[in-house]
Parts: sequence; C-alpha cells; structure tokens
Amino acid sequence: MAPNSTTSLPVIQPEPESATPSEYGRRRFLSSVLKLSGGALVFIAGGSVADALAAVAGKPGGEAYRWDEHLYAYLIDTSKCIGCGSCVRACAAENKVPDGFYRTWIERYVIGMEQTHVDSPNGGKEGFGPVHVGFTATKSFFVPKMCNHCKATPCVQVCPVGASYRTKDGVVMVDSERCIGCAYCVQACPFGSRFISPVTHTAEKCTWCYHRVTKGLKPACVEVCPTGTRQFGDLKREDDPVRRAIAQDRVAVLQGHLLTEPQCYYLHLDKEVR
Amino acid sequence: MEHARHVFRVVLVLGAVVALVMVTRGFMVPKSYGMYGPYRYDNVVEQMNVRVPVHRGAAACGECHDDQSKKRAAGSHKNVSCEICHGPLGLHVKDDGSVEPPPIDRSYVLCARCHRKIDGRPARFPQVVLDQHVNGPVEGNVCLTCHDPHSPKL
Repeated sequence: MAPNSTTSLPVIQPEPESATPSEYGRRRFLSSVLKLSGGALVFIAGGSVADALAAVAGKPGGEAYRWDEHLYAYLIDTSKCIGCGSCVRACAAENKVPDGFYRTWIERYVIGMEQTHVDSPNGGKEGFGPVHVGFTATKSFFVPKMCNHCKATPCVQVCPVGASYRTKDGVVMVDSERCIGCAYCVQACPFGSRFISPVTHTAEKCTWCYHRVTKGLKPACVEVCPTGTRQFGDLKREDDPVRRAIAQDRVAVLQGHLLTEPQCYYLHLDKEVR
Repeated sequence: MEHARHVFRVVLVLGAVVALVMVTRGFMVPKSYGMYGPYRYDNVVEQMNVRVPVHRGAAACGECHDDQSKKRAAGSHKNVSCEICHGPLGLHVKDDGSVEPPPIDRSYVLCARCHRKIDGRPARFPQVVLDQHVNGPVEGNVCLTCHDPHSPKL
C-alpha cells in the first residue's frame, strides 16, 4: 500500500442532532446529578470514618497496653537449634493448633557438595530421628521456621475483605470474624506460614502469641526454647538484646529478594535455606 | 413546572438510593473498621484476650515445687523449662483452681529428643549414640537408672 494513502481516509462527520433541546438538557442534567450524588456518597462515607477515628484515637490498644510503644522483632540463631521440637509442641498447646498444622515448625537440612536433603517429620513436633541420605553430607543443621511478620507483607495485600492486617507494634494477624477462608493469603505467603484451619475454616497463623506479649510475657516458643535459639525482642527498647543483635551482628532474612521486609532475623543462616 | 415534575421524581429516587446505601453501610461495616487501616481495630483487643496464657514459666512452677525447682536451677538443665517435659502449667493448675496431674514421661524417648546423636545437632551439644551409651537394651526408663533429669550430671 502506498504511504500517501492516508489522505483517502474517510472524514468522521458529526452526527446530526436528533434529540429536541429539552430532552438533551434533561439527559445532561441527569448525568451531572448522578456524578454529584456519587461524590456526596464518598464524602459522607469518608466523613464517618474520620469521626470514628477522632473519637477513639485517644487510647489505642486498650487501657493498660499501648501498641505504639512497642515494635516487635524475632531473632533465630540456627547454630544453636538442637531440633528438640519443644517450640512446636508449646505452640500447639498454647494456641490450640489443630493436629497436622503448624504455626511454627523445624526443618532439618543435610547438605553435601552436590545435593541437599530437607526433612521436617510432623513439623519436628516429636523431634527428629536418624536420617539416611544417599550422598556424603558435609554439614547439617536445624532451622526453625514461622511467620516472618513482614513489614511489606504480601498476605495482607491480597486479602479481599480486610481480615489480614499488621498492627502498629508489628504483628501480622487475621481477624477470623471477617475472614471468608478464600486462602488467597495462604498462596501469597512465600514462607508457607499460613493455613486454613479445619476447625474454623478461616486463615490461621503465628501471632507471636499476641495474647502473651501484650501482657509482658514471651511467645510460648521462646519461653520453652532450651538453647536460646529463639529470641523475642522490642525494637523500641534501647537495651533490648534482639535490637542490639540486629543492629550489630550480621543477620539475614529468608527470601530477602522478595522485598517483603521480614521481621524474623536469622543468625548463621546457610545459603541453602529458603 | 410541567418539566420540573420529572426532576423531582428523579431526585426523590436518587435520595432514596443514597439513604439506603448509607443505612446498609451503617449496619454492614463494623464500627472500628478503618480506624487505623483497612481492618477491624476491635480485633486487636480481641487477639490480646483470645485466651489465657497456658505457659507460665519455671518461676511460676517453683512457687509450689520449690525443691525440684532449685535442683533444676543449679544443674545443667537450668535452661530447660519445666514445661518442656511436664507440659504447660495452665493445663496442670486450671483457672478454677483445680489440679490435674501433669504428664511425667520417664521414657528414654523424652531424653533422646534432645540428646540422641543425629545429623543436624550442633557438635558442642551433649549427645550420645544410644546403643553405645547404654549397656544393654535401649528401652523404658533406662536413662533414669543413672541420671536424675532435674540434675542430670552423674
């Protein structure tokens, strides 16, 4: 086709005015009314939220506990873990976690030059037995896993009903009253930390034992850890050991390339751990 | 005024729709929703009180079991919480004050969870190859014939 053929394109003519002047006016009026009412709706709705905010902003997080005075973080030293599974059992007892599901679990890595073997029998709940891998292992270690309570958390972003959220003190939680059990968050979590409870049919996950930490106790898993592998800290406390470790030691996070900003920090993490 | 009647009718319908939306929204959206973000703020308080903590720590156990508590704190199991072996205190002493006997597991399996030599344990942690450590069959409460779990050093 010749390049100058564009000159032969048909010219779009304006459509002849078919409506009478009065009808045209009404149509235009209706459309403006619709737009206006939509705007008014947004305005009124926004106003009620602002009112609610102003009414209760005085005491966030209840009477005795102030959530803006804390910012929690978790530290796991993988070189100390002996794989006893006390944390998994304590978590299950503390939070009534259904059998076969885990809010926290332990993985064992057995690594050779060519191959890696990972196992986690029953989440490590009853400890670990001997393992027979078909290669020469050069190192092996345990890695406790749990919800990383990410700052930029993908699980909260995908929740369609506002059931998942991150509190001001840095804990990611699920509102089981609002959760519809669609499991988008279960798929969105890159760490596999969430599951749909067979009891409530809603998403369930580690809450860092929010019912304990808001009373000044440690999470159950930290409470029972016999080796000091698991530590729980408050980044807003100057003298906090976890805060000091994160500030001064060489800590790593799981799947840092995903930029979810996990708040579970690991010491002595191996490159094979995902 | 002939044309204005249409306008009133439309305004009335629109007003009814707006009112319906407002009323429905008032019923459907929880009170505390959106206060600090797109979630129900009341749930934060609910989560704080979701249940009474069942793990209370070794110090709480020591209030009644002073002798075992002191023995444990002086020995090499000083960092091993009572509740690891005996289960949570909250299941032993209930909220209404009633007492259920806690599990006392004397089996070698309990000891082996931490001290059996397997791949994965840090080398400096005390651990044994079961059949080499025990003179005879590894079964029952064989560990307790030599070791006191509250102060396990021989």
